[in-house]
Amino acid sequence: MDGTVPENSQAVPSFEFFAVIGRHALRFLEHLGRYFTLLWWIIRHFYFARAYTRSVFRQMLDIGNHSIPIVIFTSAFVGMVTAVQSAHQLYDWIPRSVVGNLVIKSVLLELTPLLTALVLAGKVGATITAELGSMRVTEQIDALETLAFDSVSFLITPRILAGITMFPVLVIIGDFVAILGGLLGAVAVAHIPAEAFISGMRTSFLVSDALFGILKGVFFGFAITSIACYMGYHVEGGAEGVGKATMSTVVLACLTVVVLDFMLASTLL
Amino acid sequence: MINIQNIWKQFNGEYVHCGISLDIPDRETVVVLGKSGGGKSVLLKMIVGLIKPDRGNIVVDGNEVRTMSYRNLRAHRMKFGFLFQGAALLDSLTVGENVALPLRYHRRKKVTDIPARVKRALETVGLEGVEQMMPSSLSGGMRKRVGLARALVYEPPYVLYDEPTTGLDLETADGINLLINDLRNTLGVTSIVVTHDIRSAFVVGGLFAILNEGKIIMTGTADEIRNSTNEEVRKYIDSNL
Repeated sequence: MDGTVPENSQAVPSFEFFAVIGRHALRFLEHLGRYFTLLWWIIRHFYFARAYTRSVFRQMLDIGNHSIPIVIFTSAFVGMVTAVQSAHQLYDWIPRSVVGNLVIKSVLLELTPLLTALVLAGKVGATITAELGSMRVTEQIDALETLAFDSVSFLITPRILAGITMFPVLVIIGDFVAILGGLLGAVAVAHIPAEAFISGMRTSFLVSDALFGILKGVFFGFAITSIACYMGYHVEGGAEGVGKATMSTVVLACLTVVVLDFMLASTLL
Repeated sequence: MINIQNIWKQFNGEYVHCGISLDIPDRETVVVLGKSGGGKSVLLKMIVGLIKPDRGNIVVDGNEVRTMSYRNLRAHRMKFGFLFQGAALLDSLTVGENVALPLRYHRRKKVTDIPARVKRALETVGLEGVEQMMPSSLSGGMRKRVGLARALVYEPPYVLYDEPTTGLDLETADGINLLINDLRNTLGVTSIVVTHDIRSAFVVGGLFAILNEGKIIMTGTADEIRNSTNEEVRKYIDSNL
């Protein structure tokens, strides 16, 4: 035996498989390390961001105001669908006011925060990554650094702060609209009297449910904006790189949101 | 004074700089010539600390760039104006806001003083009444001029030019060259110009360094470069003139 692996050996592809897994794992760990390094930089240099408060307000407008229409649209339909499907699934002998109970619980605890975050992962996440990625490939970030700006504090910290503050606000707006949508769906489609629906909602409404949903908004806002900023800030490879990073942001942000959603529900409920 | 001392740098296993050393005297315009992708822009980015060399040092006014803390690095960068190849203007800001950017955040001047300084910087580069325009509505030459105005607005002692005339027509390129000479003559700035445009290089350059395959193969004045018998230098000059 000379120790060489014969050609056409079945062992070669299986080793290659493990090598691919290993390379992907290493790449993932590298990204994770760089992501946390970026977050650590933001914390360490937070005092630089004081100079850029105008930038925070601009981002709050971009992330918050410009997302209101899509949040209203999504939430209205979420509320209506929840009401109609709840009514459809209930037995005849169950009081119709239960639809109100189901709608308010589902909307406040889960549906509005989650679906708002998933929609905004696409809209806000993709926008941030494309913006920062374009700035990276056209050397605008390098230009900021040469002008003695801390580019992370100038570009990333305001976006994350805006995400943390505006996502909960959007969740609150979404909650109101989804409840109104639920009422509309219940009355117009499921033919449930408005009084019954409202009384059902009132009996099961808990402030803590609303606060839990809003808290989710804070976490989702942080996750989406920080991932989007990281991906955009580290773009490589020109326009193609920007496209790939934008797609990765949407996928990664959506996955992170659903995992976070489960973790928060498991720990806080 | 900038001293580049035995710089080595590799990307993805390939060396772009293999022991580069170069001295940049004060109030001089030094042109670094070389092929595209030869590491000229990397050299400029190393001087302002955007990229760290693998080995070697860059010393500016007696301070080593490589070992600077981030706070010191920011102070160091305030000594430089940097004109990027594509001007690198912030798309989301107007021309006036772009030029005012370093003043508004670092110089703590009275806000009333900023518009006047922005106007003056734009006039220096031959532009007037463009403060409210967006970068996307400017031509390539105008973008470079605005980039230069932004680099000059805080009156740095050093200006770095990355391919200042690339992609411009001859007339616009000549305008930029004149501007570079004017800045040296009137403001006394020390300049480093990296370019592969030899025609422009001979218009603006006082001293020249030719970068080839990661090494500086010759330094000298315009005449010394023109009359060089070095085979590599001749090949480069003849193929680009």
